[in-house]
Amino acid sequence: MPTAATPDSDAERVGVPLDPALADLHHLGLKLALLAVWAAVSFGVGYFAADLQFSVGPWPFSYWVAAQGGVLVFIVLAWGYCWAMQRFERQQGMGAGAAPEGESHG
Amino acid sequence: MADPASAERSYSSRIRHILGLYVIGLIGFIATMAWAEQQGLSRHWIGPIFLFLTVMAYAAIGVHGRTSDPAEYYVAGRRIPPIYNGMATAADWMSAASFISLSGALYLQGFSGTPGAPGGLAYILGWTGGFVLVAMLIAPPLRAMELYTIPDFFQVRFGGRWPRILAALGAVLCSFTYVVAQIYGVGLIASRLTGVQFEIGIMLGLGGVLLCSFLGGMRAITWTQVAQYVVLLLAFLIPVSWLAYKQLGNPMAPLAYGQQLGKIAERESVLLASAAERQVIAAYEQRMREDAERLADVPAALERERREARERIQLLRSRNADVDLIVAASRELLAMPRDEAEARARWTRDLRENQQRAQPLGGLPRHIQPFVGDPVGDETQQAQYDLSRRNFIALLFCLMLGTAGMPHLLMRYYTVPTVAAARASVAWSLVFIALLYLSIPALAALVKFEVMSHLVGSRFDALPSWIAQWASVDSSLLSVQDVNGDGIVQFGEIRLGADLLVLAAPEIGGLPYVVSGLVAAGGLAAALSTADGLLLTISNALVRDLYFQPGRRKASPEQRVILTKFTLLTVALAAAFVAALKSSEILPLVAASFSIAAATFVPAMILGIYWRGMTRHGAVAAMAVGLGLTLYYLVIHNPAARAWLPSGLLVPGLWWGIEPISAGAFGAPVGALAGWLVSLLSRRVSR
Repeated sequence: MPTAATPDSDAERVGVPLDPALADLHHLGLKLALLAVWAAVSFGVGYFAADLQFSVGPWPFSYWVAAQGGVLVFIVLAWGYCWAMQRFERQQGMGAGAAPEGESHG
Repeated sequence: MADPASAERSYSSRIRHILGLYVIGLIGFIATMAWAEQQGLSRHWIGPIFLFLTVMAYAAIGVHGRTSDPAEYYVAGRRIPPIYNGMATAADWMSAASFISLSGALYLQGFSGTPGAPGGLAYILGWTGGFVLVAMLIAPPLRAMELYTIPDFFQVRFGGRWPRILAALGAVLCSFTYVVAQIYGVGLIASRLTGVQFEIGIMLGLGGVLLCSFLGGMRAITWTQVAQYVVLLLAFLIPVSWLAYKQLGNPMAPLAYGQQLGKIAERESVLLASAAERQVIAAYEQRMREDAERLADVPAALERERREARERIQLLRSRNADVDLIVAASRELLAMPRDEAEARARWTRDLRENQQRAQPLGGLPRHIQPFVGDPVGDETQQAQYDLSRRNFIALLFCLMLGTAGMPHLLMRYYTVPTVAAARASVAWSLVFIALLYLSIPALAALVKFEVMSHLVGSRFDALPSWIAQWASVDSSLLSVQDVNGDGIVQFGEIRLGADLLVLAAPEIGGLPYVVSGLVAAGGLAAALSTADGLLLTISNALVRDLYFQPGRRKASPEQRVILTKFTLLTVALAAAFVAALKSSEILPLVAASFSIAAATFVPAMILGIYWRGMTRHGAVAAMAVGLGLTLYYLVIHNPAARAWLPSGLLVPGLWWGIEPISAGAFGAPVGALAGWLVSLLSRRVSR
């Protein structure tokens, strides 16, 4: 048996200092949308690479996306998420700029 | 509120100031070396000076940042500004595999690699795409939990002993595989640059790593990595831009290399039709047949070869031939396999290699063709296409998930002040990584064009000197042999190892030797920075998560830090020992560790964060099943391990044709499924 007396999940949550799931589920839609773009660029273009060979300048499209375009899209996604979350947090009025959840000592 | 903010501002401005001075100093140093080379400074000095001075600079930062305070040692006091943490993460992330091997892999594998060796652009997409998952799903909640290590997460979320123990084991396994690859890279660079033996090169580089991470922990490593990032970025961009300027008249390589792709495709068509290339292929086919004959009856063949070699020596002696020839012939006799098993292993390897090289273009797929085979061709062509595409997608999946689960990467986001800073820091990391990654496909294409248009067709008696120098480091890195005996280099006669391409790129492009020194220093920075982070992860996991479990052993925080430092030393030596065996190339080794990370951590972590129904039993099941299945698949396809395992454990063939490098493609989904089912089951039982 790997674990001891209390396999009950309510008893376990005592040890969690913060329950991030609560805060994060609000933005599920945003996350799903960004993840859909992420999957389309990586797995989508990867899977259909042979059919997406039309040229963009000197590059075949699928080669360019896999070599460079994908990386650029990922950067936009990461910054977009960052920006959107900051806006949400400011709207919730929990202090401008500073994050509410992870208050930390210096 | 105002006071800490202004203190923070002055802290950042001080860092900016120091970093600016450092960059200016570095550029000044490179310029001085370039000037000294023109004044006649010998090549024997340039390499060692670059190596020594950069390692000393890192060590100085490491010694300056030394600490025994636990918060500083494990998470750098949680006050690294996001942009600098992004820079440090980029250096941490871009290992010897990214810096040294990745361009070479793109050169060799083109878009997607072959079905048997998937790769190519999957590495570029996978190692950047994973950060989207880290930014959105993983880093912010982990930062909010105020942890020290990754196994801490499993302790806090699930409680009990086993989740943490399994996580620590997974962290040690994937990080150790990874660190061995880094130290191999260090040895490669140091031995080429200073001319010392490979093993001594490893020890020299190891000294540099230890000075940083041994004394200072996370705080020292962070600032060392920032310094290393600057070196490795300059070391990559300078040769790429220079090559691009030479070939295309435009130093912006990532924007300009597109036109070379078309020219490479033209050259490939010419080479495919060339009669001389076909002669080379025929010569390799002949060698294949000879190998097959020898393997048909190993003892007789070995006996015959030995006899022939002895007769050759006799003949040379009786003719009073040149001493050099006799020495060479006796050396050949000595190099023969000692027994049957060795002979069989060697000839099987030869056969496989000759088979590979008897393919058109020396076994390299065409550079921009997405997958091997043809979706509208005959049946074998279609099957090959399917297999190639499936392996590409599977590898992409493993690399992305592996990125999201790599403990040494996730640990870096513990060091920023807030959750918002963690998100920003991931985005910064991606920017700093992209600065280099966007140039990697460019370098591969530029070098391929250079080789195809200049090296191919040159005469064997006028080969450039770098070929002999690199071939003497390790013949598996580079060999150019006149296979068809016409005195002219054909494309099929060149064999470049993936680990060579970047290090030799300045010489292939005819740049000054200073650039070679700089590139080597950059490769060293990449390997050392990653090794630092990995060693810290391993020693933390061993000491904090396995040895001192809560409430089991008593020790003050300072004692734990000291113990961690000594564990780090031991782990580093063990990794150096394994690396000295020179068992494998860098890239496959690293890719295997991504599969392990993907399967062990990601299912349990994502479910643990986003599903409240996940129980401790579920987490244990997810990790144990994921890790177990991945390791099983890796091991049963490893030829060395196959000999040791009882045959009942071995399953013949691959599952759905997926190569073992992507073992996580099975481990992660099955682990997630196991976690979900066991969670449901355990709640029902306890109710």
